[in-house]
Amino acid sequence: MSEPPLLVVEELEVRYGNLVAVRALSFEVGAGEIVGLIGPNGAGKSTTLHAIAGLVPYASGDVLLGGKSLRGGPPEKIARAGVALVPEGRRIFGSFTVEENLHLGLAARRSTGAAAAVESVYGLFPILAEMRDRPAGALSGGQQQQLAIGRALVAEPDVLLLDEPSLGLAPTLVDLVFEALGAIREHGVTVLLVEQRAQRTVALADRTYVLGNAELRMTLSPAEAGDTERMIAAYFA
Amino acid sequence: MKRLDALLPLLAPAALVVAVGLLSSLVSRSWQISMLYALVSVAIVVAISVFVSNSGVLSFGHISFVAVGAFASGIMTVPVVSKALVLRDLFPLLRDHQIGNVSSLVLAAAVGGIFAFVVGLPLMRLSGLAAGIATLAVLEITRNVLREWTSIGPGATTLSLVPETTGPLQATIGALAILSVAYLYGRSRLGRMLRATREDPAAAQAAGISVHRQRLWAFTLSGALAGFAGGLLVHMLGSITTEQVYLELTFITLAMLVIGGIGSLWGAVVGALAVSGLDSFLARAEEGVNIGFTLTVPTGTRLVAVGFLMALVLILRPGGLTGGREPSLEAVARRLRPREAA
Amino acid sequence: MTPFAAINAQTLVDAVGLGAVYALMAVGIGLVFGVLRLINFAYGQLVMAGAYTLAWTSAWPTAASVAACFAVVLVLSIVLERTVFRPLRTQSPAVMLVTTFAIAFLLQSIALILDLRDGTIGEAASTFASLNQAVSVGGVDVRRVTIAAIVAAAIALGLLALLLARTTIGLHMRAAAADFTTARLLGVRADRVIGLAVILSGLIAGLVAVILTVQTPLVTPGFGLKETIIVLVGVVVGGLDRLWTATLGGFAIGFATGVINAALPTDKTVFLPSAVFALVIVVLLLRPGGLFSPRGRATVVERV
Repeated sequence: MSEPPLLVVEELEVRYGNLVAVRALSFEVGAGEIVGLIGPNGAGKSTTLHAIAGLVPYASGDVLLGGKSLRGGPPEKIARAGVALVPEGRRIFGSFTVEENLHLGLAARRSTGAAAAVESVYGLFPILAEMRDRPAGALSGGQQQQLAIGRALVAEPDVLLLDEPSLGLAPTLVDLVFEALGAIREHGVTVLLVEQRAQRTVALADRTYVLGNAELRMTLSPAEAGDTERMIAAYFA
Repeated sequence: MKRLDALLPLLAPAALVVAVGLLSSLVSRSWQISMLYALVSVAIVVAISVFVSNSGVLSFGHISFVAVGAFASGIMTVPVVSKALVLRDLFPLLRDHQIGNVSSLVLAAAVGGIFAFVVGLPLMRLSGLAAGIATLAVLEITRNVLREWTSIGPGATTLSLVPETTGPLQATIGALAILSVAYLYGRSRLGRMLRATREDPAAAQAAGISVHRQRLWAFTLSGALAGFAGGLLVHMLGSITTEQVYLELTFITLAMLVIGGIGSLWGAVVGALAVSGLDSFLARAEEGVNIGFTLTVPTGTRLVAVGFLMALVLILRPGGLTGGREPSLEAVARRLRPREAA
Repeated sequence: MTPFAAINAQTLVDAVGLGAVYALMAVGIGLVFGVLRLINFAYGQLVMAGAYTLAWTSAWPTAASVAACFAVVLVLSIVLERTVFRPLRTQSPAVMLVTTFAIAFLLQSIALILDLRDGTIGEAASTFASLNQAVSVGGVDVRRVTIAAIVAAAIALGLLALLLARTTIGLHMRAAAADFTTARLLGVRADRVIGLAVILSGLIAGLVAVILTVQTPLVTPGFGLKETIIVLVGVVVGGLDRLWTATLGGFAIGFATGVINAALPTDKTVFLPSAVFALVIVVLLLRPGGLFSPRGRATVVERV
C-alpha cells in the first residue's frame, strides 16, 4: 500500500462492566480493500464494529478515519463521516416499504445524486426494485440482507462495515452476498467484513484478521484460504 | 460482628424510629403531631417498599390499601351512638358494632391484605407501564367506591369521632412492627426468590420460581401492612376523608421512597423521615416560622419543594439518598480504617 | 326511560368534540413517547400553563394572547426536554415515569403559588367566550367550540400525518420511533428528531389549552390533570407502540366518556369512574399491548 490506510484501529479496548470484550486491538484497512475479521463466538468481532460505529464507548484506544479520530462521536455523526454499518440481524424497518428503507439510508449521504444512488442499488440488487413498494417485513431473509446492504450503500460511504451478513442464509444467497461484496469493492468502497464463514472470507478478502478471546491472534491471506480451518484449529488447540 | 451486620438493616432504622418516638413524647403537642405523622409515614412507606423494592415493580395503588384499612378500622371504632346518628346508611353490621383499638388494627391489616390479594391475583401478571396504569386504576376505583357507597362508609363526608389512640407509643410500636415484618420477609426465602425475579425474570423462571406467585405474596403482605398503617393513620388523625388517601398521599409516599432510595429498608425509613421533616418545616414556614428571623413562604411551597427534590434526586442520583443499600458495619469500618500505604 | 334514550345527535357531536380534544392530547403524548420512550405525566401541566397564560393575558388582543400561550408552552416543553428528559434517557422507564409524575406535581404546585397571589384560586380566561354559543347545524344545536375543536383537531392531525408520511424529517421521526439505534446508525440526527417531536407536542398542548379554556373558562392548578390521566389510560389501552393506535385510544376514551356521561342519569353516573377503570384493567390484562395493536401482545408496555 503506497497510500496511507483509510481506517486505522489503534489499541482499541472495550469493556462491558468488568468483562474485557476487546483488548489492545490494532489493525488497518487500506482504501479499496476488503478486510475480513473472523474468530469464534464471543471473540469480540461484533464489539469491534460497534465501537467503530459509535454504538459502544471504548475504555481506551482510538479509531481513525482518514487520519481523523472517530472517538466519542454519536453514531449519526460517524455515519455522516462516511462509515456505514450493516448490523447483525439486518435490523430493517419492517413496517416501512423497501423504498422508504432505502431513503432512510440517504440520511448519511454527503453529496447530491441521491436518486442515482438509489437506482444504482436497484441495479445491484434487482429483487429490491421489484419489491420497492412492498413492506420490508414481507421480504425473505436473503432479500432483507440485500436491503440492509443496499440501505448502507445509498449513502455512498467510504467504509462499509458488515456484521455477519451471511448469518441464517441459504447457500445460494450466501453466494449472492459474497458476489455483491466483490462488486462493491469494484465501486471503490472499502469493506470490513465480520463473518462466521471463515474460509469464504479468507478467500475473498485481501487480508483477514483472526480474533480470539478479545485479542488479535493471526493474520491470514487468500493463499491460505484452503487451510483456514486447519490453521485456526491448530492455533487455538 | 457478622451477626450484628446481618441485624443492622433492622436495628439502624429501628433505632431512628424509636428515637423519633421518644422525642415525640417529650415535645409540645404541635411538634408531636408532626412527629407522629412522620412515624405513620414510615409505616406506610415501609409497607409499600416490601412490594416495590423486592419486586422492582412500581405500584401507584398502594394507598388504596391504606385507605381501606383506615376506613375499616376507623368506622369500627367510632362509638355506636354516633354512627346511629351520623352514618345512618351503614350496613347494620358496621353501624351497630364497635370494636377495640387493637382489634381494629388487626382488622385494618386483614382488610388491606384481602383487598390486595383480590386485586393482585389478576394484576401481578403485569409489569412495568401496564402495572403502573392498572394500579392507578385501582386507586381510582377505591376512591370512587369509598366516596359514593354510603353503606360502607361516610362517603364524601369526613369520618370523625375516631378515638385518637395513636400516640407516641402506638405509633412507635406500629412502625417497629411493620419494620420487623418487612425485615423478616426480606431475609426469608420468599423474599430472596422475589428479588431474583427483579434482577432477571427469565433466569428466575428458568430456575423454577413462579414470578406471579412471588409477586402476589409480596403484594398481599405489603397490602396488609399498608392497611395496618392506615389503621395507625386514622387513629392518629381522629378522622379521615377520601382525599387524604388519594393522589397527594400517593405522590408524597412515592417521593419518600424514591428520595430515600428504592431497594432497602434503610432507604425507605430515611426517605420517610427526611421528607416529612422537610414537609413539616415548610408547613410551618407557610404560616411563618422563627429560625433566628421569621421565614414565611407562600402556600403551596411544601409540594413544590418535595416535588423539586424528588425530581432532582431522580435526575442526579437515582439511587436516592442511600443508594438503595442497607447500612453495614463493614462498610463503615472500611471508611474509618486509615488508608493503606500505597 | 332506558339509559341510552338520552343519546341524540347533540350528544354524539359533543362526544366527538371531546374525543377530538383527547385525540390531540394523545398525539402530544405519543409523539414524545415515540422518540424518547418516555411517558410525560406532566403533559397536562403544559396545557395548564397555556391556559393560565391565556387567563393572565385576557386583556390583550386575542392574537397576542394566543401567541403568548403558544410561546409559554413551547418554552416550557423545551426546558423540560433539556433539564429533565435528556438526563433521564439512560434510566429505567419506571424512573422516568415517576420523575414526570413529580414534575407534574411540581408544576401544579408552582401554579398554585402564582395563582394565589391575588388571593383566590382560579383565573378566568375569557378570550374566546363567544365560542361557547350554540349554532344550529342541520337542526342540531352545536356549540361553536365543538365545531372548532373537531375542525382544529382534524386539521392538526391531518397536517401531522402528512408530515410523517411525506417528508424526510417525518420519515426520520418514524424510524426513530421504531428503532432509534438503527436510525442513528443510518445517520438520522437524534437531537433534531427529538427537538421536532417536543416542539410539535408543545404546539398541540397550546392548541388543547385554547380549546379547553373555551369549554372551562375557569383555570385552576388542576387544569389538565384529570384529562391527562384519562388520556394516558386511553393511550395505553389503545396501544402505545404506534402513534395512530394511541391517538385512536385517546379518541375512543374521550368519545366513550362523552356518550356515557350524557346517557346515564346523574344518580347512576356516580360509579362511572369505577366502571371505566375496571374496564381498563380488563383490557390491560387481555391485551397488554393495547386494544388496537395487531396481536395485542405487549412489546413496550410489558418490557418496561
